[in-house]
Amino acid sequence: MSPVPAAALLGGLAAAALLADRTVSVAVIALLLLAVCMRAPRRRRWPYLVGTLASGLVLFLFSPLLGSYGGVVYWEGPSIPVVGVLDVTSTELGEALFQGLRLAAVGLAFAAYALLLDHDRLLQAGGRLRRSVLAIALATRLVPTLERDAAGYVEALRGRGVEVSGLRGGARLLSPLLAGSLERSLNLAESMEARGFGRPGRTRAPRPAWRRIDRLAVAAAVLLVFGGAVWL
Amino acid sequence: MALVRVQGLTYRHPDAEAPALDGVSLEVQPGELVCVLGPSGSGKSTLLRALAGLVPHFHGGAFAGRVEIGGIDTRTTRPSELAGVVASVFQDPEDQVVFSQVENEVEFGLENIGVPPEEIRGRAAAALESVGAAHLAGRPTPEISAGELQRVCLASALALGPELLLLDEPTSQLDPDGARALFELLGELQLAVVISEQRPSLPLEYCDRVVFLEGGRVLLDAPRDDAVRWLARNRPAYVETAPEARAGEEVDGEVVSLLDDVSFSYGGETGVESTSLRVRRREIVALTGPNGSGKTTLAKLAAGLLEPGLGRVERTGRAAYLSQDPGRYVVAERVDEEVALGIGGDLQRARRALGLVGLDGLESRHPRDLSSGERERVALASVLVTAPDLLILDEPTRGMDPDRKSALAALLRDGAGRRATLVVTHDVAFAAEVADRVVSLARRREAVHA
Repeated sequence: MSPVPAAALLGGLAAAALLADRTVSVAVIALLLLAVCMRAPRRRRWPYLVGTLASGLVLFLFSPLLGSYGGVVYWEGPSIPVVGVLDVTSTELGEALFQGLRLAAVGLAFAAYALLLDHDRLLQAGGRLRRSVLAIALATRLVPTLERDAAGYVEALRGRGVEVSGLRGGARLLSPLLAGSLERSLNLAESMEARGFGRPGRTRAPRPAWRRIDRLAVAAAVLLVFGGAVWL
Repeated sequence: MALVRVQGLTYRHPDAEAPALDGVSLEVQPGELVCVLGPSGSGKSTLLRALAGLVPHFHGGAFAGRVEIGGIDTRTTRPSELAGVVASVFQDPEDQVVFSQVENEVEFGLENIGVPPEEIRGRAAAALESVGAAHLAGRPTPEISAGELQRVCLASALALGPELLLLDEPTSQLDPDGARALFELLGELQLAVVISEQRPSLPLEYCDRVVFLEGGRVLLDAPRDDAVRWLARNRPAYVETAPEARAGEEVDGEVVSLLDDVSFSYGGETGVESTSLRVRRREIVALTGPNGSGKTTLAKLAAGLLEPGLGRVERTGRAAYLSQDPGRYVVAERVDEEVALGIGGDLQRARRALGLVGLDGLESRHPRDLSSGERERVALASVLVTAPDLLILDEPTRGMDPDRKSALAALLRDGAGRRATLVVTHDVAFAAEVADRVVSLARRREAVHA
């Protein structure tokens, strides 16, 4: 499938998850996207999956404590200033599950976009929006680049006998990671300028034409958005 | 008529006190291969950037004098407008890659300079073919080796069909065979090439002319043969002779590191397979071999940074590992604090280690404010300071000028009695100078001891 229809389809699934009212619909979308993400190599997919699923889980675990939706009370805790009484009710659990799945579905759609799409071809399809699409493509690559940089810092520290563990150890790497990204972006910008980027009169390499499956994917994306709002 | 004409070029980086280039004048003729030599920080990379128009357009700073490429004044022309006439390949290939697929990366410049769409694919394929990288088309750029990525960057530059090719240390990631193949290719190209190098033996074999920079000034601009004579008289470290074999007495210290029939794979891809290696105290072992032969993997296994899938790794005492990338030694806010990270923050010891590598006076600077050569030395001090029983250095001479290399060899020899040392290197001359024993890895084969 061409990357533009694939991106549209992933966007349609994310939009449907956001617009749907039923937990089971959102769960099916999340499971479908999870299955899609599992096609990526294990080494690349795990940070995305852990990040996305952990975020959904955190939302599921904590939002019942803070919400007040009534229903059957399963647990009642202390009263906290501003927040009020901490309790967990049947309605709050249902709502938490719904919101957790919704967050996971949107996160998984992004993970599938980052892991499986050919961003180069997406960029080439950008046409007049090429600069914006280039910025998005480079930003998407930031995640694996940061991951690789972080692994490099940890290895260099371990090579000196310094173990990096826990939140404090990770926090120590934030500043060099940020500074390294800025340095890298300057080098990349210099290289792009030297290769003529930004010069008027640019052309585009020929791209393969859309196939039937690509047109079907775009139609499905539109249908998903509509269906998410009306039926799901 | 000269293709490149530089007249009285003086350039100072923003916020710098001293000029990086000071009154530089030179000419390059069409088809000429010019090698720019000089110590770290002498202005080689800045000169190349000035020829590409990136200095001053991209970097700012104070610029005086005149640079003309094919009659085009770089002060009045943006670097992007010079693309196609000039093409550059910078030091670090990873920082130049825009796209995630090899062929798209090569096509990027062609699209930017407005090559007709029907010609783009063919020219990109031909450029990849010319650097021996046709097999990489279709491969994702994050998954190919640094040496392969360097070829892709070169193909991206050649695809533009430039009249002037600027190469900043293009062999830094290549094994000796790959480096020679590159120079043979450069010799066949019908275009002017200006190449900055820290490993001078190959450039001196292939170039037409040598420019030697020091402190931003041109000390020498002469045809190759005259230049070799001048270097032999004035900068002998740059004229590498055939490496002399060190006295071949076998070192009989205790075995500090033993790798017995080890194998390791990254996912499904083999890193090393059934390889054995032994390093004794008081011994310096150089580990050499072509790109992709598993040298770094073996070094990391010896350091305990990787666990073998099969086989046995034994080590006596503490190991320290110097990564290939000095950019990984910039975690702390000050140079002395960076060096002290591995010794519980002992700043006195850290400062002594900095003195050993010639960085006195830079203790309070931020590691990122240092030049690349200085960063290399901070990294070296960071591992030496830990006084390890097993010292492992991965490509320690990358980006290092010949004088600094000799100093490093002397430093390693001085401390060799206290530890076992394993040096991973592509630099044959350095290996011969420093090592008691050379172990060559063939691609995915067992180690061959010499």
